[in-house]
Amino acid sequence: MSALVRMRLAGFLRTGRALAPLLAGLITLGTLYGGGRAQPAEAYGVSAVVLFPVLAWQTKILLDVEPDVQRRLAQVTVGVARERSAGLLAAAVAALVTVAVALLFPWLVGGVSGPVDPGDRSIPVGLALGLWAHLLVVPAAVALGALASRASVGGAGYGVAVLALGGVGAVVFGLTGSVAPWLAPPIMAAARTTAGDAAALTLLGLSGWALAWSAAVVGGYLWRRRAQG
Amino acid sequence: MRLENVWLRYHRRGPWVLQGIDVRIGPGEVAIVLGRNGVGKSTLLQVAAGVLRPGRGRVTDRPTRVGWVPERFPADQPFTVTRYLTGMARVAGLGRAAADEAVTSWTDRLGLAAFRSVRLPELSKGTAQKVGLAQALLRPPGLLVLDEPWEGLDAATRELVPELIAEVLAADGSVLVSDHRGETVRLPAARRWLVADGSLCEETSSTDETIAVVEVAVPAARVAGTVARLRAEGHQVLRVRPDASTAASQALPVEPPRSAGAARPAEPPLGMAGELTAGQPEAAEDAVESAAGETR
Repeated sequence: MSALVRMRLAGFLRTGRALAPLLAGLITLGTLYGGGRAQPAEAYGVSAVVLFPVLAWQTKILLDVEPDVQRRLAQVTVGVARERSAGLLAAAVAALVTVAVALLFPWLVGGVSGPVDPGDRSIPVGLALGLWAHLLVVPAAVALGALASRASVGGAGYGVAVLALGGVGAVVFGLTGSVAPWLAPPIMAAARTTAGDAAALTLLGLSGWALAWSAAVVGGYLWRRRAQG
Repeated sequence: MRLENVWLRYHRRGPWVLQGIDVRIGPGEVAIVLGRNGVGKSTLLQVAAGVLRPGRGRVTDRPTRVGWVPERFPADQPFTVTRYLTGMARVAGLGRAAADEAVTSWTDRLGLAAFRSVRLPELSKGTAQKVGLAQALLRPPGLLVLDEPWEGLDAATRELVPELIAEVLAADGSVLVSDHRGETVRLPAARRWLVADGSLCEETSSTDETIAVVEVAVPAARVAGTVARLRAEGHQVLRVRPDASTAASQALPVEPPRSAGAARPAEPPLGMAGELTAGQPEAAEDAVESAAGETR
């Protein structure tokens, strides 16, 4: 399966289509950090929120780059389960690279500062919370991007609609006082947590929520793939 | 491998493309899937290969290693021939050294050596089809599924396809092949599966089948080639005679050997008419269409 993951990543990088989401991510982060300095945990929490639609879009592009017939050839060669898994894994690897860039970016442009007041978090703690917030986003974004991929929804229009609804829904349903917060991955809640009181139980609960949401959406993706044949 | 009561449709409310297909193919057997355009030949092949999942029924005892040559190779990929085939060999489970060896061997054999460093989108249709053929054979398949494998191939590679099939069969593999070009006459021992109206029936080869005689007219200059081609396609050419409207009706008997090019009739100067027998009406129609094409 690792050979198929490598082949898909190579296909993604060689077409040059990887540049579009990467540039979008950098522009978004540049805008985010251009306004002034913030402490790492707080800054990374917002960074994870804005990266969610970018990573989902990146996943959709990665999966859509491969021609349909080539995807079927891979399925014949390695089987259905491995073919699906390899696509999700390749997208996760690509997302992790983008996350690494996002974590490094604010230090390059001077967008983060160390603790100022006595009660502020140390830089390592801030980094750890930021990493957690970004890693929370990766499975959810990969799941949404996979659900929006051509192999899942068919037409390009439906894919864009799924991406847009997922991206907007994650913010709208994630607002404080939302009537149905469970409809969205907890990226907004994670951002609030990194900026406020990050109790271990809260972190654990949000992680479980994110994984459950991602698993449900991946289930939808697999069901759609099964229905598409 | 066996297809048990396989039904398939592409959409929930769409028509059933395959309806209750029940067929089996054993090791060392080759079956030709025949039928008109759009009857579901490719669909049946994709179900057999594991690309499509039946809506009802199931496929059992499918060999672990399946090689599938799609009707159109997906050349819109950012790889060179070598990189693509090496990647597919690794995906198929070969180690680095074995993958390199397999790629070198198959590119040499299929005449792709000169294209190893060429990017897939820059290949001609026929060359891309050879890459499609190569990827299916990088690891010896237990089931080889060929969807119109002769499409776009040059003469040398067309001749090679039956040889490749024979090698898979010799290794106790099974082969399914569809074809609308009449190339499957090169596989005389093959079973013939006819797909029509979503169903499949197997044509049994019988020696006591009713023979039909079809007369065709071709330009005199093309008589020898046409006779050779008809024989190569499995037809029995009975005689060649000058066209009654342009020459005396002197009939020129033709020796009856069936091997292609074994006997060439003397070329008369004017338009010629000939008779051939066709064991199967469909084959006879093909022959008439071919001959009509020659006269245009």
